[in-house]
Amino acid sequence: MLNIGKERVPLCDGTSRRSFLQVGSAAMLGLSLPSFFRLEANGAVKANDTKINNCITIFLVGSPGQLDTWDMKPDAPAEVRGKFKPTQTNVNGIQICEHFPMMAKMMDKVALIRSLHHRTGATHENGQRWMMTGHDFNADSVKPHMGSVISRVFGQKGELPCNVVLPGPIGNTGAGPLHGQTSGHLGSAHEPFFLNSDPASKDFKVGDLDVAQGPTGSRLDARKQLLTQLDELQRRTESRSTQMHDSSYQRAFSLLTSPKAKQAFDLGLENEKLRDRYGRNTFGQSCLMARRMVESGVRFVTVNHFDTVFNLSCWDMHADGGGLNNTYLDYERLLCPQFDMAFTALIQDLEQRGMLQNTVVAVLSEFGRTPRINPKGGRDHYPNAWTNFLAGGNIKGGQVIGSTDKIGSRPNDFPIEPPQILASIYQAMGINLDTTMMPGPGDRPVRLIEAEPIRQLFS
Amino acid sequence: MEQKFEGSPKSDIRIEGNKLIRSEVSDDWGSLLRWVITQDGKEISMHNARPDLSYAHKIVNKGKYEVVLHMWKYVDYKKDAKGEFINSKFVEVSNKITFTI
Repeated sequence: MLNIGKERVPLCDGTSRRSFLQVGSAAMLGLSLPSFFRLEANGAVKANDTKINNCITIFLVGSPGQLDTWDMKPDAPAEVRGKFKPTQTNVNGIQICEHFPMMAKMMDKVALIRSLHHRTGATHENGQRWMMTGHDFNADSVKPHMGSVISRVFGQKGELPCNVVLPGPIGNTGAGPLHGQTSGHLGSAHEPFFLNSDPASKDFKVGDLDVAQGPTGSRLDARKQLLTQLDELQRRTESRSTQMHDSSYQRAFSLLTSPKAKQAFDLGLENEKLRDRYGRNTFGQSCLMARRMVESGVRFVTVNHFDTVFNLSCWDMHADGGGLNNTYLDYERLLCPQFDMAFTALIQDLEQRGMLQNTVVAVLSEFGRTPRINPKGGRDHYPNAWTNFLAGGNIKGGQVIGSTDKIGSRPNDFPIEPPQILASIYQAMGINLDTTMMPGPGDRPVRLIEAEPIRQLFS
Repeated sequence: MEQKFEGSPKSDIRIEGNKLIRSEVSDDWGSLLRWVITQDGKEISMHNARPDLSYAHKIVNKGKYEVVLHMWKYVDYKKDAKGEFINSKFVEVSNKITFTI
């Protein structure tokens, strides 16, 4: 039985609306896909064709150590420089870790920012909020994720949502539920659309659009029957609000039945060799999905490399012997190779399709890791210095912005704070930060971010 | 979300002179891929096979050698007291070839 206002609509074969249209993370957030479209119908979200560049952010949950990846110090003492060696890239004078051999061959497309730091506590959540909202924690005003800002200001430009997170939201990283991947004060219409499914899985289905199989007949038939029932309801009721509601459901079901949406989510349409090139793993296939999303009209995609830091191989290299027991072995055997393949495949794929110039690729993380290796052989959280990087859009690759001291413990020159990274991403997307505003708390117009872009990235 | 790894990786390898050559890996898990050269069952050389499709070995000592590609198979991150993985391990993902110096 479907309830719309006071009307109760029986569904075919006893299928409930919830089982018919299962809404994963959106339901968790209290926002169903039809709700999203209803808000759009009410003018909260505007679909338009504004020409800005797209953005794919790769968020390395747990955070790689700067000294073991993109800011190596081979001349530092052994307890600082770590176990890995630097390798020369295709740009004179720029070296990165030996375990990124493919990235080393395309450093001319990448701008490393080695003097990134923030001044708040060394929790994952602090770093996540800084890097995805540009703001410190504020319980009274939860700040929106970059993708939500893009959604609010520029709207969606096709049948797919504006702001997509793959493969799912960040979950438990130790210190609370606020990870900077919500729409905050911009409202639920601009929540990210979470895929909530593993694109590397053989039985991959899109979690937020999972249409349950009815007991009889095809799923498409069931959809059509439901739409017929909604049409009947619309004829019986005249109020504008109900028409909007119906329209919202129509849009949701249009998305479900849209060949374009279906194709966008179908990795089976990709060349098998290209799928191999990205890596047949959750992260690699998510990066490939990100390209498909952008290709299909999604403006902002976030790929979370892991959704937790506990009890799995991830970048959070404490080597604590317990639930946070990642070590150099995890980096060498799994994490670095997996990132190297997927990131370089994405850059190469975007370039070959002529999409790199209008797609910004940002690789972000929460913080750095302690310059000195801890007694158990790991490195702990360290927000005083780390390296992130940008490529694509109008970013000038083949350069390093800023540097750290001899042991990678603090910025040596050109210190950069997280809001400057967000401002740079917006600028790389072609957004004029001086003229573009969004509604702040209380609908007061505010800038997208209170910081200036890093000019050197564009010169 | 636990990482999923699709399929079983496979690569074909051959040797030309001292150059070991591999094909692209199908169903590539994307983890560490390395050339492993053994003599009498003992590993004498390992080299990262990701950077290129070929690798020129530098073995000069006389003898018969066997070559195969290994890839890291991630099962879980559990490690023993010495820090070695318990369940995750390297697996062979290619044919084996031999050469004699």
